[in-house]
Amino acid sequence: MIRKWPALLSIVVIVSFVLSACAQATPTAAPAATQPPAAPAATQPPAAPAATQPPAATQPPAAPASKYKEAPMLTELVKAGKLPPVDQRLPDNPAVVQADEVGQYGGIWRRGTLGPSDFNGVARIIDDALAIFSPDGGSVVMKYAESVTPSTDFKSWTVKLRKGSKWSNGDPFTTDDIMFWYKDALQNKDLVPSPPGWMKNNDGSLAEVKQVDDVTVQWNYKDPHTTFLFELANAEYGDKNIPCFLPSKFLKQFHASYAKQEDLDKLVADAKLKTWAELFRLKISPYDTPERPGMAAWVAAPGSRISDQIFKLVRNPYFVGVDKAGNQLPYMDGVDLKFFADVNSLNLAAIAGELDEQERQVQLVNYPVLKETSQKNGKYNIYLWQSLGGADADVIFNQTYAKDPDLGKLMANKDFRIAMSYAINRKQIQDSAFLGTGEPRQPVPKKGHPYYPGDDYAYKYIDYNPDLANQMLDKIGIDKKDSEGFRLFPSGKRVAIELSVVAVFGSYPDIAQLIAKDFQKVGIQLIVQIRERALHFSLRESNDLQAEMWNQDTAGFPFTGSTKYDVRSGIYGNITYGPLWYNWVKTGGKEGVEPPDYMKQIMQLVDHAKSVGPDDQAKDAQQIMKIWVDNMVEIGTVGLTATDQGVVVVNAKMHNVPQHLTKDWPLRTPGNGRPESWFFVP
Amino acid sequence: MLRFIVQRLLILPILLVLFSIIVFWLVQAPPGDFLTSYVANLASGGSSIQEEQVEALRHQFGLDQPMYIRYLYWMRGLLKGDLGYSLEYQRPNSELIGERLVLTVLLALFAFAITWIVAVPAGIYSATHQNSLLDYAFALLNYIGVATPNFMLALILMWIAFAYLGINITGLFSPAYEQAPWSLGRLIDLLKHIWVPGIVLGIAGTARLMRVMRANLLDELNKPYVVTARAKGMSEWALVLKYPVRLAINPLVSTIGWMLPQLFSGSLIVATVMNLPNIGPLLLRALTQRDMYLSGSILLIYCFLTIIGTLVSDILLALVDPRIRMEGV
Repeated sequence: MIRKWPALLSIVVIVSFVLSACAQATPTAAPAATQPPAAPAATQPPAAPAATQPPAATQPPAAPASKYKEAPMLTELVKAGKLPPVDQRLPDNPAVVQADEVGQYGGIWRRGTLGPSDFNGVARIIDDALAIFSPDGGSVVMKYAESVTPSTDFKSWTVKLRKGSKWSNGDPFTTDDIMFWYKDALQNKDLVPSPPGWMKNNDGSLAEVKQVDDVTVQWNYKDPHTTFLFELANAEYGDKNIPCFLPSKFLKQFHASYAKQEDLDKLVADAKLKTWAELFRLKISPYDTPERPGMAAWVAAPGSRISDQIFKLVRNPYFVGVDKAGNQLPYMDGVDLKFFADVNSLNLAAIAGELDEQERQVQLVNYPVLKETSQKNGKYNIYLWQSLGGADADVIFNQTYAKDPDLGKLMANKDFRIAMSYAINRKQIQDSAFLGTGEPRQPVPKKGHPYYPGDDYAYKYIDYNPDLANQMLDKIGIDKKDSEGFRLFPSGKRVAIELSVVAVFGSYPDIAQLIAKDFQKVGIQLIVQIRERALHFSLRESNDLQAEMWNQDTAGFPFTGSTKYDVRSGIYGNITYGPLWYNWVKTGGKEGVEPPDYMKQIMQLVDHAKSVGPDDQAKDAQQIMKIWVDNMVEIGTVGLTATDQGVVVVNAKMHNVPQHLTKDWPLRTPGNGRPESWFFVP
Repeated sequence: MLRFIVQRLLILPILLVLFSIIVFWLVQAPPGDFLTSYVANLASGGSSIQEEQVEALRHQFGLDQPMYIRYLYWMRGLLKGDLGYSLEYQRPNSELIGERLVLTVLLALFAFAITWIVAVPAGIYSATHQNSLLDYAFALLNYIGVATPNFMLALILMWIAFAYLGINITGLFSPAYEQAPWSLGRLIDLLKHIWVPGIVLGIAGTARLMRVMRANLLDELNKPYVVTARAKGMSEWALVLKYPVRLAINPLVSTIGWMLPQLFSGSLIVATVMNLPNIGPLLLRALTQRDMYLSGSILLIYCFLTIIGTLVSDILLALVDPRIRMEGV
């Protein structure tokens, strides 16, 4: 009770709490037997043009009004005259959502979040895009768009919207809403300082978006652009990027080009903001502005915001999706996103069966207790969802480390990195940290995926062979050792490398310690530094990381988004293999360090892949993977585990949740599992 | 007395300015800023953000300004009664703190009530019945209470409740009332849930207070005036309660002032562990997310309340203890 300096004390307490949280080992678990077989997903071609035929297009267009059914709560509103009938709310050609069963209406999906910073968790469940990824992640299916068709040279992409579709407030959804984004958001320097990569031509100029009519719009590039569909599927509010379609009628009152200056100034002042751009950004956000009209299956309930104790989403009466029997989706009346201050209390709620479907923030360490509890009370089932490949707990050496030239030179030596790969006992990591799940592998896509470079590469350099590692290290000029058995540089300094680990990925700190012991056996001292992630990132930014432990989660997407295989992805989304190479590329060779030939080759392959069809894309991707492994840019340990958002708790009464779903951020999992088609049985 | 109060009040603004500088420096002392934490947060979820965009946001949030400019900006707002804007929540800080204030104070008052109602009588009993069986029992409980960090106790209780009763005891409301406006039903619901957090928060204080009460009273009980009173035939209870207890309670009164910041703080870790919707988790998140205006504002309010609390303590002490008054501080 007696606290002398509450403020200071609380800081000390916070720090110790954070530290103890960091120190909390999170051993991961998942019996091998329950591991789902590789999703059939991977056998399908991943890429674009083939996917442009929407499943909906094959359905006959809606004819009689009685064809569609709606939720009882909406029927009441229609009867009361507060809402138009369902056939007037749906577009002429609604999106037919594929699901196992025809469901029934009702119920609230209880789900947990970690609050405002967990906003991507909301983006994932509403998957608010014109086109979205399929459950297996192998193709793109139409959602708000009716079709997306490329020209034969892939330079021009025609996007057709569904005629008669509407925003959640009843405003018509037309190409005006796309043009508003293109003209008034994307090209407004106050809002978008620099357009995203996918909207640029190869020469850096802005791609053209042309309005053809009310429902047709055309993206015109100067060069072939075959990754368009992938990019369109991610052109939504994920990462709080401005989506490529905006409720223009609603937003114009907050835009400097449309609103009266004095009105806007007043609005800005009332919101206690400084500029109209801040206000506009806030009004775009469906998480912070409940009155913002949306297209998703659920929209924010009146007055509900992501910073609330419960962020309530309610059904969008104008949602464009129906099931195969013609019932307008979603089945569930709403989503309650409960704000948990701490990830452990969220997990406890999941264990107690208080969350109906949850995979985000569920920790692999809780898998055994979840499994046990589910068997005991039968309240929920546990699924494991797999990613497209890659690897967990990879070791990445900074090949452009400059503070210590000896060390920088050593880490830039390919043989050194290969030797270190041989020095890692992966079986031990797999057994202790991942309880035998997953497999030792290099960070490449999983077997069966079109980008898979073959067993020769996926399992290259992964044998545990300390003798070979020792030989290789002897040969590269660090054969002398000090009294403690650690190798010395010719200068007489000990070879000691600092490995920076962030405690956000389960058991990484423990794995790092195991690897440090393995490295010690071959005479390399690995000093494990467990860091708070913001600190880790500022060190990464300033090229002060010697080595880091991170994951490879972009194996299915080596060309688009923030891929970790391309040094141009920048420092924020990338891993730390060559920060100075990035500077070199960014400044056109003025600053930084010139990347080696193999890295340039990867960049060429990425550019090439963006201009060719899916078959050639697959070839390019395989080539990238081969280069990646041959040069040991990133030393993979164990992959295909359920570490990140792969342990899924599903209420036993909730149906249509896919047992095998490919999970990944670009896929907006669980959005690609179509939550609008999930339902409760009584 | 009046002079003393006026003196203290005059120092207040100077202290506050001093504290505000320290607080503002402290919350920004770790490397990186809100955007580093924001970017890191995105990256650990597999996504990322363009550098240009980060720079634009940094400019928008004023994070590219030198620290003293940011401080002056913050100060200017504070002088107008504006606590600033939360970078993470995208809402005014006063709103965020305000909506958690009622529950924070309620919970803290509840914990204090438990503390005092249990600790003072138990302390008196222990002292007057020194080395009795119950005294030993209290002592044992005290040691456990003081030695167990209360978040640990919270975790243990949560585990017991879940493992043996199958219920999750986090939070302060059942789902039906979580977001409902205040009503009688909601209050009753709160009273049903407030016990566990209240006890968890109160137990360490209870134990400590009990020890202090016991020790102080023991000192007094052997003094000649007590013997004299006893010799004059005064009844034991009337004697104990009228004289030694009044003296023994002084050190406790001097701690009442500390209650103020405590009431406001919302017990950081316990509240976070138990997912209580009060100010504690708000501060912890603000600190880890580097939401500096929010954490700075909350910490500054702590400082303010600590200063005020000390003043209140001193005044109270003077009121209950004539000896202090006589010295004419």
